[in-house]
Parts: sequence; structure tokens; C-alpha cells
Amino acid sequence: MWSDIKNFFSGKSSREVAKGRLHLVLAHDRSGLEGGRLQEMRAEIAAVIAKYVAIDAEAVEIQIETRSRQTQLTVSSAITARNV
Amino acid sequence: MGRAIVITSGKGGVGKTTTTANLGAALAQLGNSVVLVDADIGLRNLDVVMGLENRIVYHVVDAIRGKCSLQKALIKDRRIENLWLLPASQTDDKDAVTPEDMRSLICELKATHDYVLIDCPAGIEQGFKNAIAGADEAVVVATPEVSSIRDADRVVGLLAAADVPARLIVNRISQNLVKRGDMLSQSDVIEILALELLGAVPLDDVVIATTNKGVPAVLEGKGLAARELLRIAKKIAGHQVEDKEAVGFFTRIGRALGLSASAA
Repeated sequence: MWSDIKNFFSGKSSREVAKGRLHLVLAHDRSGLEGGRLQEMRAEIAAVIAKYVAIDAEAVEIQIETRSRQTQLTVSSAITARNV
Repeated sequence: MGRAIVITSGKGGVGKTTTTANLGAALAQLGNSVVLVDADIGLRNLDVVMGLENRIVYHVVDAIRGKCSLQKALIKDRRIENLWLLPASQTDDKDAVTPEDMRSLICELKATHDYVLIDCPAGIEQGFKNAIAGADEAVVVATPEVSSIRDADRVVGLLAAADVPARLIVNRISQNLVKRGDMLSQSDVIEILALELLGAVPLDDVVIATTNKGVPAVLEGKGLAARELLRIAKKIAGHQVEDKEAVGFFTRIGRALGLSASAA
């Protein structure tokens, strides 16, 4: 009860922060990709997508997330509007 | 033929050795014949945690090299029936032993004991590979901290790759801190590691005191940690144990009054 009130005023509890950090760290650990490789992959994927649709290559985002032992790689990119 | 269980964690200092000593003592108390193997060659500690450091003559490397028989290297715990320790060597290097050596050694011990508990060194290098080589199953020990869980996750991946099924012990948990929102709960840890939980051992001063004396806490029978470790040992041995979380106080009263869980 008291901890609920405390968390309401101070934002997330350290327990939740730890959980969030772990989800992120483990996703990267499990993918086996070091930071540099991830950026390389991002640039390559962006280049491939750009061949087919108009996108802002800088805005392509890669996210690695994990839920239990499943790790998911998500690439997201907005298609820029074309003036026809 | 007995079961070989490796107790591992990745990170050091989370309580692998203490867990090994206590589970071993508890399994022996339950009437099983148990041998504890210290696989931490060069940094042995299971002997001191068990309080058997003054009785070492031969060690695991001597037995593997044929300097003595395997029986001669085993130290019998005089406090309890059917409990033995195979100490590690303190002067050799981890490379003194190969996974094949360990596999045949563990196999030999399984022929004469119900349980072979292997205390794995920290890390994921040669010592780890040696320790898991002869194991049928694994117990992963993790404390509810980011660094410990991260390392445990690496170990879980390596165990899966080696086809060793693993279960989890969350060690040194403080329900007060969990309630305050300042510690990961056991269900948080299970959710992250996706492992079956054997038990959650509470942080308990008794364990520090008994370890100082070289007595496994379960042998003194005092404290909450000892109680949980005994419960875990029963679970490992296949005894019926109630899951603490699942069975609440009112459910127990309900059961005592003969009400079914759904009716209560």
C-alpha cells in the first residue's frame, strides 16, 4: 500500500526498472549481435528497403525484444509520401 | 543408477557452493546416498563450506590420474549417513581435467550413489564445460539482481545447447524488499529466464553463521533458508511438496476443514 503510494509519486519502482533493463540487455545478449554489427545490419536493411519504396534511411529503427525465451527482431520504417 | 545434477550460475558469489552443500546434506537426510563433487579446480571451497577441509588427503585430479582409487579420494561426512565429498585440487589448473574425464568419473559415482551433485565454478569457460559434461540435469542459482540474472541467462542458453535440462533456484530473496518494490520477485525472475522454479531461498543470517562454522544450515535445521532448501531437496527427490505460492493460508485452512480449493 505505502509502496504503491510511493511509486505513484516517484514513478517506476527500482524493481520495474531492473526488469525493463533486463529485458533489453538479454534481448541483445541472446541475439549475439554487438553494437557495431547491429548498426551494419540496420544500414543494409535500410538500403534494401530503399530499393523498393521511398523511405528515410536514417529513420529505420531496429528493435530487439524478448519475452520468455523468444527473442524478436523488429525493423520499422515509415514510407515517405511521394509527390505524383 | 543415480542422478548427476550440476549446480551452476554463471556469476560468482551467488551461493552455488552453499546451495550444493545444503541440497546434498538434505538429500542425505532424506535417506539418499549422496556424493558432492567440487568441480572448481584451483579454487576449491566446497570443503570449507562443508567443514571437511582438514580431512582432505586425495582429490578429484588424483582420482582421475589414477594416483589413488576413487573410493580413497571420497571423504565421508561423519555427521550424517551416506554423504561424501570429492574435493577439488587446489594446486592444479582447470585444464588438468577434460570433459571426458569428468563424464567417466561422474558415471562411476552414479553407479554407487543416488545423487551426484556437482558444484560448478563461476564463468562459462573450461571449468564450466567440465562441470556440465557428466550432468543429467542442472540447477541454476540466481540472486534477484540484474547482473546475476544476465549471467544465468547465458548459462541457460549453454545448458540448452548441451541438452542439459535446467531448473531454477532464486537465492537470497527478501520478501520485504520485493514488497517495497526494490527487488525483483521470484515470478519476475521466472518470467525473464523462462525456467521451472525449484524454490526461492530467503536471505537468512543463519546461513552466514552456519557457513562460518562449516555446517550446512539444513543440518542445524534452523531458519527459513534451511526450511526452503529442505523443501527443494524433497522436490528434487520427487516427494510431494506444496508450492508455497500456490497454497495460501486460507486455502490451507479450507483444506484442513475438508473444503476443496474451488469451494473455498
